[in-house]
Amino acid sequence: MARKKTFQKPPVSQEMIDACLAYAVSEGDIVNFRFLFLPYSPLRDDSTEDIESQKYSYLWPEDEADPHFERALAAVQQPAVRAHVKAQLEKKGPAQLPAELLLPLADNAVRLGKYTTAAQTYELLRIRRRMQEEFLAEADRALEDNDIPRAVRGYIIATGLDYDYAAFPEPLPAVPNYQSRALMLHAEYPKQPQDCVALQSTESHVRTALGYLLLDAEAAARLEVRPLEQKLSFLETLIRTCDPEWERFAAHYRDACGLVDQLSKRIQREANRAEGVNDTLASEIEAQNETLDPGTIPERLLGRAIPGGEWWQYLKELAYEHPASALFVSRQVISKDEEIIMPRLLHENPLPARLGLI
Amino acid sequence: MSVDTGYVNYFEILGLPEDCKPGEVRKNYKKLMKDLVLEIHRTQITEDRRDKYLLTMAQLNAAFYILRDNDRRERYVAARKRVMELEAEWSQTAESGESSQADALRRAFDSELRQFLSSYMEELMLEAGRDAECVEASNWDPYHERHASRVLRHYRQRLYHEIHERLPYYDVTKPLVDWEERSRTAAHLIAEGTR
Repeated sequence: MARKKTFQKPPVSQEMIDACLAYAVSEGDIVNFRFLFLPYSPLRDDSTEDIESQKYSYLWPEDEADPHFERALAAVQQPAVRAHVKAQLEKKGPAQLPAELLLPLADNAVRLGKYTTAAQTYELLRIRRRMQEEFLAEADRALEDNDIPRAVRGYIIATGLDYDYAAFPEPLPAVPNYQSRALMLHAEYPKQPQDCVALQSTESHVRTALGYLLLDAEAAARLEVRPLEQKLSFLETLIRTCDPEWERFAAHYRDACGLVDQLSKRIQREANRAEGVNDTLASEIEAQNETLDPGTIPERLLGRAIPGGEWWQYLKELAYEHPASALFVSRQVISKDEEIIMPRLLHENPLPARLGLI
Repeated sequence: MSVDTGYVNYFEILGLPEDCKPGEVRKNYKKLMKDLVLEIHRTQITEDRRDKYLLTMAQLNAAFYILRDNDRRERYVAARKRVMELEAEWSQTAESGESSQADALRRAFDSELRQFLSSYMEELMLEAGRDAECVEASNWDPYHERHASRVLRHYRQRLYHEIHERLPYYDVTKPLVDWEERSRTAAHLIAEGTR
């Protein structure tokens, strides 16, 4: 009986190893980078996986002329790094990843906005907290120069490198969870105006907003000492940077505000009628023509309806799509068993006008 | 001698020597818990402070619960000593460059460390909160327990990472970090993103 022919893969050349590693480094891709060192890695000669097969095409650089790739390739081609990589690919058991490549990998991840990857890699190198401090210090220097976009970017990076040590079962990079945080922000029904986030004094509203948006109480506390005007500019830039679709929400918000105004007028008319004040003919006609339903306010805010949606479902979706939206709405009971979210803002607060909400 | 940061010393928490008597444990616990409860009543509670007080309360309860019972105390002292010895042994072996032996020791230490932290920095802390004497002194209730589970998990994993940060590198090579260069890189990465 003929013996089945065993598959012999072509040998893996040094150039292949360099190219694949450099690509993972330049893309800030810790998953692919780690994969290349696993026992079944296609870069290992003793593995049956073939690096040149179609299924591994994602490990190959798309553009070898990319300057980031070229820099990564130069780092990979250092003789000491090459020797270490070679030893790890020949070794049985878990590989020891080269720090010389992990550092640029983490920096590239930051450059590309892959903050969870950057956090994981800096954590592996045990420099995550110190790097956070470096970014925060640089952002604070930018605030001193009143360079708000640079400061915002610094804070976004630093808070993006946060780690969640309470994650189960293992600590993980912290990820934005505005849909949960928004619910916490509105957990209690506001009984008085000051209970409502959107109706807090400007100073207080800014403090709440920074704590909520930065996802990091310590980072938000660093901004406490800054002048109010600077915090307002910071917040405006932060909201627009975190949410490129903010203008779309602002348009929905203005639309919902229009509906709220109409409803207020109707309530005023009803009150006048109850007090025996006669309406003008024009307002009588207007009242007959209008079909106002307060239940449609959340739909206008979100820009679409959620069938059977409760106030909290609208709030979660809004916060997921536009994180800062939760700062300009409040809960409102409109009947015995119906509650909605509706636009709310304090006219003395300059932030809503700056954000195009009014 | 190994550094013992991270392996919380319950004797220190109660301000007692290792040969203290159960009566002293009870006396110090009651005093410290009373001070803590008074401080909580005097302070405006924020989310941060609530977590901090919850952790301190859980630590005091655990210290009392573990140290007042001779069996539990002996097991705790032995487990703490064992994990510290393993750390020292592994660190020395890793620094001497014997990689195969170091790896086996690291695994043994890691398993012992996880076991120690989950028993003494989480499970027994929660168990202590259900003890009648602890409940009486600290007013610990299911509400505390619900919040404490998250706080304690955070605490345990933070300790685990703090301990690991001072140990020899094993999954990556030791980085040679030039902090001036890092500072320049941070500035460059920030500036690049705003262009």
